[in-house]
Amino acid sequence: MNGKNTSAPRKALNFLSNNAVPVMFIIIIAICLPMSGFSTTFLLNEIMTRLSRNAFLILSLLIPIMAGMGLNFGMTLGAMAAEIALILTSDWQIWGIPGIVLAMIMSIPISILLGLLCGKILNAAKGREMITSYIISFFMNGVYQLVVLYMMGSIIPIVHTTIKLPRGYGVRASVDLTRIRKALDNVLSINIGGVIVPVVTLLIIALMCLIIVWFRRTKLGQDMRAVGQDMEVARAAGIDVEGTRIISIVISTVLAGIGMVIYLQNMGDMATYSSHSQIGMFCIAALLVGGASVDKASIGNVFLGVILFHTMFILAPKAGAVIAGNEVIGEYFRVFVSYGVITVALVMYETKKRRAKAGMGAQLAAAQREGDKR
Amino acid sequence: MSEYVNESNRTLSKRVIEALKEFGLPRMIIAAFLLLMFIVAPFTGANFWTQITNVINRFSWNAVLVLAMVPMVHSGCGLNFGLPVGIIAGLLGATLSIEWGFTGPLSFVMAILIATPFALLFGLAYGWLLNKIKGGEMMIATYVGFSVVSFFCMMWLVLPYRKPDMAWGFEGTGLRTTFPIDKYYGGVLSNFLRIEIGRLVIPTGALLFFALLALAIWAFLHTKTGTAMTAVGSNATFARAAGINVDKIRMLSVVMSTWLAAVGILVYEQGFGFVQLYNAPFNMALPAVSAILIGGATANKASITNVIIGTILFQGMVTMTPTVMNGLINLDISEVLRVVVSNGMILYALTRKSEVTR
Amino acid sequence: MKKRRILFVAAAILLLIAIAACMMVIGRGHTMYFDNKKLEYEGQTYDTYRRINVFVNGEQVAKLSAKDRGMATFMGQQLSFDIEVTKEKGDDPVNYSYTVKVPYKEDGIVLNLPGMIAGLPEEAYTTVFVPMVTEEDNAEEEIVIDEFGMSDVTEGEDTEP
Repeated sequence: MNGKNTSAPRKALNFLSNNAVPVMFIIIIAICLPMSGFSTTFLLNEIMTRLSRNAFLILSLLIPIMAGMGLNFGMTLGAMAAEIALILTSDWQIWGIPGIVLAMIMSIPISILLGLLCGKILNAAKGREMITSYIISFFMNGVYQLVVLYMMGSIIPIVHTTIKLPRGYGVRASVDLTRIRKALDNVLSINIGGVIVPVVTLLIIALMCLIIVWFRRTKLGQDMRAVGQDMEVARAAGIDVEGTRIISIVISTVLAGIGMVIYLQNMGDMATYSSHSQIGMFCIAALLVGGASVDKASIGNVFLGVILFHTMFILAPKAGAVIAGNEVIGEYFRVFVSYGVITVALVMYETKKRRAKAGMGAQLAAAQREGDKR
Repeated sequence: MSEYVNESNRTLSKRVIEALKEFGLPRMIIAAFLLLMFIVAPFTGANFWTQITNVINRFSWNAVLVLAMVPMVHSGCGLNFGLPVGIIAGLLGATLSIEWGFTGPLSFVMAILIATPFALLFGLAYGWLLNKIKGGEMMIATYVGFSVVSFFCMMWLVLPYRKPDMAWGFEGTGLRTTFPIDKYYGGVLSNFLRIEIGRLVIPTGALLFFALLALAIWAFLHTKTGTAMTAVGSNATFARAAGINVDKIRMLSVVMSTWLAAVGILVYEQGFGFVQLYNAPFNMALPAVSAILIGGATANKASITNVIIGTILFQGMVTMTPTVMNGLINLDISEVLRVVVSNGMILYALTRKSEVTR
Repeated sequence: MKKRRILFVAAAILLLIAIAACMMVIGRGHTMYFDNKKLEYEGQTYDTYRRINVFVNGEQVAKLSAKDRGMATFMGQQLSFDIEVTKEKGDDPVNYSYTVKVPYKEDGIVLNLPGMIAGLPEEAYTTVFVPMVTEEDNAEEEIVIDEFGMSDVTEGEDTEP
C-alpha cells in the first residue's frame, strides 16, 4: 500500500495519523509555552530533572510490550518492592550511594517474587493481560498495605520512631529520604549554562538502553518477540511460551523496582501509601505520548515521551491560570490528558487489531474461493 | 438432554457438590466469612439489629449501581468498568435539578429526568466506541470512565453554577467537592414508608425502587429484544447468523447500563445524603464490579439474583468487618481486607478459563 | 549448558549479596555529637574550654563555646576528626587529632571533648545518644486508606510524577 506512487501530501497525512499523539502534544505545548512565562533555564532544568527521574521507570515497560503482553500496569508491583526496600534501608540507617545500591539490590528478590506471581496470573488471563495487570496492581496494593501498615514494626522489626507509627506498628504516611536524597544525581553532576545535568543517573539510563538493545538480539529476546507476534506459532517452534511471558514480566517488575529507587532518591521523600499508586499511569501515559502503541514501543518513544509529557505537566497549571484564571483547572487538565492519551492509544490499538483480523479473514475467504474454483 | 436423564441417577451428595462448584469457592468463603461475622458480632458488643439495619441500608444505596452491570454483561460487553460515564450523567442531573430550584421529592424526579438525556447521549457515544473495539472493552471502558471523570473535574469548575448550596461563594469558581442535600432529595426514598421495629430500620422506599428497576430489567430480559441480548452475549457469531443486529443490541445494552448507573448514583446520594463531585466517581466502578462477581456473575453471565446476593455479601462485608474487627482484636484491618477481597474477586473472574469466550 | 547456567546464576546471586553486605557496612550512617561540657570522672572535674573548633576532612563542622554541643554525620564505623582548642581568652589554639570507632548498631555517640583531651579512658567520655521523643513525634497520625469512598468526605489527591 505504501508504494512509490504515494504523493507527498498523502505521505504527510500518513505520518500525521501514525504520530497523532506526539503531534497533538507538540501543539498543546506550543500553545501553553508562551503563556506560562517560564524562563528557558527553568524549563530545561525541570525537564532534565524529570527525564533523569522517570526514564528508567518507563524503560521497564518496553519488555512486556515486546512479548505481546501490552502495557504492564503491574509495574506498580516493582514500585512497591522498591518502597519496602527503602523503608528497611532507612530504618537501618544506610545512607548515600550505599543506601541506594542496597535498596536496589533488596528490591530485586521482592520484585522477582511479585513478578512471578503477576506473570502466572497473566498467563491464566491471556487476551486480557492489561485489565488483569491493572487489577493485580490494586490487589497487590492491598497486600502492600497489610505488610507496611500492620506487619512492619510488629513482625518485621522497625526501630526508629521517625518511621514507625506511635502505636507501635505500621509505617508513617511519609518516610524521610533526605539521607539518600539526590545522592545518585549529585555524583559528577555538571552545570551547563544553569542547567544541572545528573551525569551518573543519565549514564545508568543510557546503560539500560544499551542492555535493552542487546537483549533484543539474544535468544531470549528473539523468543519474546516471537511470542509477541503469535503465541501458537511460537509454541509450534518449540518456544516455552508461558515461561517466556513470565520472564518478561519478572524483568519488567525488577526494572520498575530499580527505577522507583532512582525516582525516590530524586524526590527525597516518600509517601508510603500513595507514591506508587499513580506511577504506572503516568509512566504509561508518557510512553504513549512518545508515540508508542500497545504492541510497539522503542527507546526513542521513551525519551520523546518523557520530554513532551512532562513539559505539558509543568506548563499546564500556569496555562490554566492564564486561560481560566485558575491553576487547579490546569492540574485537572493534565490528569485528563494523561487518561485521554491512554484511552486514545488503547482504542487505536484495538481498532488496528480488528482491522488486521478482518483483513486476514477476507484473505482467507478469497483463498477459499480460489480453491473452490479449481 | 442426556444430562437431564442422568440427573435422577445422581446421588444427593453429588448434586450438592455440583451446586457448590457452581457457587464457586471464593463466594463460599465470603458467604461463610459474613455468616461468621454475624455470629461473632453480638459478642463484640455490637447490636445485632443495628448491624442488620446497616447492611440493609447500604444495600439500598448501592444495589442500583450494581444492577447497572447486568445489561452490558448480558450483551457480551463484559464488566462495566466504565460505570463512571453513567455516574457523570447522574451527577449532571443532580446538580442541574438543584440549580434550577427544584426541592424535596420533586428534585429527585427531576434529577432522573434531566439525567436521562445525558445518559442516552453518553451511552450512545460510549456504545459506539465499544462497538469499534470489540474484545478490548474492559480496559478501554476503564479509561473512558477515567477520561470522562477527569474531563468533568474541569467542567465542575467552569460551568456557571450559581446556587449557593453547592457552588463556592460568589466568585463563581465552580462547585464544591461535597455538599449535603437534606433540602433536596436526601433520604427521599429511604424515608418513604420507612419501617422501624426497635433498632431495626427498613428503608422500604429505596428497596421498593430497586425492586421496581430490577423487575423491569428482569422483564426486559424476557422480551424478544432481551433474549436477543442474551444471545449476542453468549455467541455473537451465532446471533448474527440468526439475523440479530449485534451492534444495535450491544449499543442498547450500553445505553441501558449507562442510564441505570445515572439513576444508581442518584439513589446512592439520596441514601448517603451528600453529592460527591470531582474525583469521587473514579473509585465507584470497582466495588460494583466486585459486588456482582461475588454474587455469582461471570464476565458474560449475570442475573438479578447475582445482583441481590452480591450486593448483600459485599456491603455486608464492608459494614460488618470494621465493627467486628475493632471489637474483637482492636485492630482495624477491614479496609485492607476489603481491597484484597474485592480485587481478588475480580482477578478470580478474569482468570477463569471457562469464561474466556472471545 | 544447564550446569553452567546454574553456576552463573549462583555466582550472580552471591555477588549481589556480597555487594549488599558491603553496602550495609560502608553505608551505615552515624551521628557524632561533640560536647564542650564539664565532666566528673573518679572524683575529678574536667572543665570546659573557651572555644573548640571541630574539623572533619578539613571542613569545619562545629564551633563550640562552653556548654555547647555540635554534631557531624558520617558513614562507616569510624570517624577521624581534628579539633582546635582554646583554653582561655588570648591563648594560642592547640590542635589534636582523633579517630573514634562507633559500634555498628548505635545511631549516635556523644563525645565529651574536655574528658577526651584530658586523655581519659574511652568509657569515660563516650555515651550513647538517646534521642528525645518530641510531642510531635508522638502525635497520633491518622492513616486514611479510603479506596472505596467510605468516609463522609473524600478529597481527591493527585500525586505529581
